[in-house]
Amino acid sequence: MRKWKPDWTTLTLAGVALVLAFVAWGQGGLKKVLDGLAGGGQTLLSVVPLLLAAFLLAGLVQALVSREVVEQWLGSSSGWRGILLACLGGALIPGGPYVYYPIAGVMLQSGAGLGVLMAFVTAKNLWSVSRLPYEFAFLGTHLTLIRYGLTLVIPPLAGLLTEALFGGAISRIREAVR
Amino acid sequence: MNQATLILVVLALVLLIYAWRRGGGSHRRGVSMGWHTLKRTSPLLLVAFIIVGYVNVLAPQDLVSSWIGPGSGWQGLLVGTGAGMLLPGGPYVVFPLIAALYQAGAGLGPTLAIITSWSALALLTVSFELPFLGWRFTAIRLGICLIIPPLVGLVGTLLFGG
Repeated sequence: MRKWKPDWTTLTLAGVALVLAFVAWGQGGLKKVLDGLAGGGQTLLSVVPLLLAAFLLAGLVQALVSREVVEQWLGSSSGWRGILLACLGGALIPGGPYVYYPIAGVMLQSGAGLGVLMAFVTAKNLWSVSRLPYEFAFLGTHLTLIRYGLTLVIPPLAGLLTEALFGGAISRIREAVR
Repeated sequence: MNQATLILVVLALVLLIYAWRRGGGSHRRGVSMGWHTLKRTSPLLLVAFIIVGYVNVLAPQDLVSSWIGPGSGWQGLLVGTGAGMLLPGGPYVVFPLIAALYQAGAGLGPTLAIITSWSALALLTVSFELPFLGWRFTAIRLGICLIIPPLVGLVGTLLFGG
């Protein structure tokens, strides 16, 4: 197996876990420290099937939606049709910020409008299809449906609003990044 | 096997068959991508679930319900928004933590605010945003999105109760 490289997120969370273990030790000694570990392990074991299914689903979405397709699609789109298309692309594009921001950067340089970019990023954040399995798995059907339902209008709205208010700033933004 | 697992398994199977019929080996690529992500994030998952275990054992019900409980009002929505901005990590880390808080007594509104805030305002993602889209875009985006988490929490509370 390859050597595991620690990253900041893991280290931060490990720090939080240590602090919590320390608090548990102060409250109930070693027994409470072990109780916490055992409880966490039990929860983890109980969601293993769920995790496997969620990761499989996320991987398949990733394999089926390539970044070339999204880039081609959204390259120089603008107007309200462009905004809707960008929402769709943002919802479908899998991967973390290290994936979708570079794509948004390509869109910016190939002529996409400010509203289109805003719609793309906001839809990725709020409509993300590849994130859906995890949210569904851990927070349950009820909470997930409410959350998606309430944020459904936001990405196109944010795109239109941004275009109307700040649309003219796009060339300065494009120049500054180039 | 609970309902959520079942639905996910069915969806995964449907996509798997679709990818297989489409050809080009995308079904194999998908499975291996999922597996690699799981392997890469397993240390993170382990730590996240240890935290979940401690949140349960320490049973901070009083703390949780006074800060972000069902009756916490505006304060709960704002605290939830702030907490969401600071949460680090991907969905497989963040959602178990939020679920633990919800079970420890967080209200519906603050919980929605945390999820939405982590989704739209996570500060850690800004470091990826700046080099590709520039500070002007980030400022406009954060300015527009800042009201969304409290608003979603408020509407959620009004429509679906505390």
